[in-house]
Amino acid sequence: MAAVVGSRQMRRLQAGLVYAALIALTAIFLFPLLWVLGLSLKTRLQVFADPPLFIWWPTFENYLDVLSRSDFLLAFVNTLVVSGGAVTLSLCVGVPAAYAFARFPFAGRSLLFFALLVMRMLPPIAVLVPMYVLFSKLGLATTRLSVVLAYATFALPLVVWIMRGFFEDLPKEIEESAWIDGAGRYRAFALIVLPLARPGMVAAAILCLQLAWNDFLFAAVLTNNATQTLPVKMMSFSAGDSGVDWGGLTASGMLVILPMIIFAFMAQRHLASGLSSGAVKG
Amino acid sequence: MQKGENAMPMLNRRRLLLTVAAGGIMAAARAVPAQNKPDKLVYIGDNQGGWKRTLTEEVGPAFEKETGIKVEFTLMPPDAWQARMKAEFGSGSSGIDVAQWSVGMAGWISPHMLDHQEVLKTIEARDPSFEWSDFLTGAKLAATYDGKLSGIPYRTTTGILVYQKALLNKAGLAQAPGTFAEFEKAALALNAPPDRYAVGLMGKQGAALYSTFASWLYSAGGRLVDFKTGEIFINDDKGVTALQFIADLVVKDKVTPPEVTTWEFDEIIAGGQRDRYVMAQTFAPYMTLINDPTLSKTGGNWSADLVPGYTDKSQSRSWVDGHFLAVPKYAKNVDWSIEFIRMACSKKWQLRSMERGNAPPRGSALNDPTMAEKLGWPPTAARSIETGVPTPAHPVWTTLELTLRTGVSEALQGQKTAKEALDAVAADWQRTLRRAGIGRA
Amino acid sequence: MDASGGDATPLALVGHRSADRRAWAFRGVFERAFIAVAVLPTFAVMLCIFGIPLLFSLYLSFTGWAPGEALFSERFVGLANYQDLLTNPVFIGSLGITFCYTVATVAAQMALGLVIALLLNIDLPYMRFLRAALVIPMMITPIVGALCWKLLLEPSLGFVNYLIGQKIVWLGQPGTAMVAVWVVGIWQNTPYVALILLAGLRSLPSEPQEAAAIDGAGWRQSFWHITLPLLRPYLLVALLLRVIFEFRAFDNIYALTGGGPANATMVMSMFTYLASFVQFDFGLGAAASWIMLLISLVTCLFFIVTIRRREAV
Repeated sequence: MAAVVGSRQMRRLQAGLVYAALIALTAIFLFPLLWVLGLSLKTRLQVFADPPLFIWWPTFENYLDVLSRSDFLLAFVNTLVVSGGAVTLSLCVGVPAAYAFARFPFAGRSLLFFALLVMRMLPPIAVLVPMYVLFSKLGLATTRLSVVLAYATFALPLVVWIMRGFFEDLPKEIEESAWIDGAGRYRAFALIVLPLARPGMVAAAILCLQLAWNDFLFAAVLTNNATQTLPVKMMSFSAGDSGVDWGGLTASGMLVILPMIIFAFMAQRHLASGLSSGAVKG
Repeated sequence: MQKGENAMPMLNRRRLLLTVAAGGIMAAARAVPAQNKPDKLVYIGDNQGGWKRTLTEEVGPAFEKETGIKVEFTLMPPDAWQARMKAEFGSGSSGIDVAQWSVGMAGWISPHMLDHQEVLKTIEARDPSFEWSDFLTGAKLAATYDGKLSGIPYRTTTGILVYQKALLNKAGLAQAPGTFAEFEKAALALNAPPDRYAVGLMGKQGAALYSTFASWLYSAGGRLVDFKTGEIFINDDKGVTALQFIADLVVKDKVTPPEVTTWEFDEIIAGGQRDRYVMAQTFAPYMTLINDPTLSKTGGNWSADLVPGYTDKSQSRSWVDGHFLAVPKYAKNVDWSIEFIRMACSKKWQLRSMERGNAPPRGSALNDPTMAEKLGWPPTAARSIETGVPTPAHPVWTTLELTLRTGVSEALQGQKTAKEALDAVAADWQRTLRRAGIGRA
Repeated sequence: MDASGGDATPLALVGHRSADRRAWAFRGVFERAFIAVAVLPTFAVMLCIFGIPLLFSLYLSFTGWAPGEALFSERFVGLANYQDLLTNPVFIGSLGITFCYTVATVAAQMALGLVIALLLNIDLPYMRFLRAALVIPMMITPIVGALCWKLLLEPSLGFVNYLIGQKIVWLGQPGTAMVAVWVVGIWQNTPYVALILLAGLRSLPSEPQEAAAIDGAGWRQSFWHITLPLLRPYLLVALLLRVIFEFRAFDNIYALTGGGPANATMVMSMFTYLASFVQFDFGLGAAASWIMLLISLVTCLFFIVTIRRREAV
């Protein structure tokens, strides 16, 4: 929406109001995180101060304590491996499929696409236990591979949905000239189409990453001690030995969400285009 | 996942085949004495209550020093802990070396555990001073299901009354209330909102709610259910009286801190340490932590007594629960698991664990005069355990307990009267028992 | 689903059919296999990892309960699980609670999301930072977000009670627990809506609004009659996505209340979780999930049909 027509003063006032509103909203949205960040920098005694302390000397002992626990670092590595694996698998499998859906009107195209969408809409909890049983029988029950596969099934419909929109946006002329030049479908796809679709793939990758990094339920069921991911590790902090371990809980919480916050900043532009491309074309 | 099918992970299957081919016969349950030393043992337990600190901070390191094997403690919230064990044992996985289980699980976990009479033989051969006879009979019985001893008792708890003696005296009461009526009267006299209320209780709709209710239920003469015939007793007039009594404390008399409906195991300890209440019915060993001057504002003020009886002190009955350490059938390092359990449950370590919040099932520990003097609750606990009612061990109890949680929570919220709440519980229990194939429909 | 006409409508599938067919017929078998090669892996993965468990779950929903040490019973009990669910007051209650939660949460997310999107759409300096900041709650692990709020809502130590000066036990009473869960749901997912709508706003052509402004239309009229209708496809997508996700919300309720107090926040996914992983009654859990599934499907179909009917007019 273009700026409202009016005098410069009016515009300044309106700009001021807009800023005020946005800053207030941002403050409300970010406050819980900032509060918990504060708690993570307090000692046990400071946490219990009544009224709550707003100014104090921060302490890093909670972070040091959490990071020195080898099982926390292990969980971090597991989460990286699992998320990376899920994203890679989903992109490798989903992007070509999206391309096929976008470009070629083959028999049953709409039906298949619809089926894919429907699968995305089903509550994951419906398949949780059977998936566990399936992986058990395959001998994969507590491995990271099982989690990667599970996340791939959630991410795939998302990837196909988003990428199809992107591919449909790409003008066909470039590929068609490549075909006419005798490049063949596979090469045309790999060498010409993919590079052009990179922004879409980034958006899809980010959303898949968020999905995989933040999942709790599937990781809790499909992993054990050695393979658990960060969200699962987090929940084991939620009630400690001698009262709630506030320091451990808040520090580990901050560490868990830190990578995703960094991603959010780097990627917010791509996120918007990714979410909406599926919207318009789907 | 058929009954009795041991779907071992692929790695173990290969190893088994190799060993058979080499001419040896390895029983899945019994380990060859000269076993290869693993680099760690996995212990799985719950993360509530603080009583495991001796295990995690002292026994574990001592074991590591002696044997070079690290003990990895996996402590999880109660629901997750049970789910993990059920899933791993159900699929025959060997990922757990030492399982900690509690009384209510005996029914479903017992088939997955070794016969611990055999384990005992190994332990006593290595350590004659272990003295199995020192363990309380009640604890041994609770560890036995269907005639099979399935674990070594590590902790036996019961519900007792803890109270700040000086405050009671100040209100004119020479001793702790002995009957329900006296308790209510004392509560009304001791209530001093908003800083300190009269009564603390674990009121969150969660795993602690059963122990909040059970003492009052049994002292009133109530019962839960007959697992053989399927006859339900929870909503008879005794059950209703008991539930209405504690519901009234919360809703009508308002003698409990408003946040009790969010309290579970850790929170009631913290509440006592912060002087939020004067009296509470709770786990006997919690008094150690509540009364500890280094942790608690009210350190040194607390005393213990049996829970009140309905109309007479002699009717006082409480619940008995506990935790056991056990070796699963599928464990890879059976020998080392046994060694850890031997250490943890030895007289020396169990006596030590009392100082850090545990309640060992050993007569020698509970009746130790220094401990009684220091901690206050052991003699009371010993008396309570003698007449206590153990948590049901039938596998269907987990589901029944879930429904009971709802009913008690509704009564504590004042949404329903005790009668309405327990009638709904009974109706659901009928459905559950029918689904499980118990008794008449 | 192959829309024939209406290329003005954003939801029509783009395609230059005849040109495609010519290109397609040109190539040989190997080239034609390209489609199969491209599409099959996706369906292979979905069917094997998702489809098979889904069917197994359907089978499970017709089996009985094994409260003993075995994970599953082999007893076929027909529709007994479904019957038990539909006569279970807790389950029926959870239907109502889930419905109320979904409607209330999605409505708030849509309204607030639209406001935020409109504000963020205005071209002012430093908008990029505000946009990035507002995205953060959405990227946070839901469990962690809920635990953050649990700390904020702590009766004696939490900031919320400090701010309002009252000692409300938020998670200890049914009414306030519902409110708490609702607020956390809105906090976490409004940015999702805002992002979609913002992308939509940015893609709108500016001519209609400029023409209206020249014709003397006020801001409010311009908004109601021009912006909103053009934004419709985005609004619908955001609405559909949020309804799907809030219907099956689990993480925040699990972390905040676990379904209590007195079952006040017992949404369907929580019920299913308890049935499967606490009671270990997998048959009942499977039946409950299939009921959730059917409701989701019907809702989606309803949405799609409504959209298409509107488009066809």
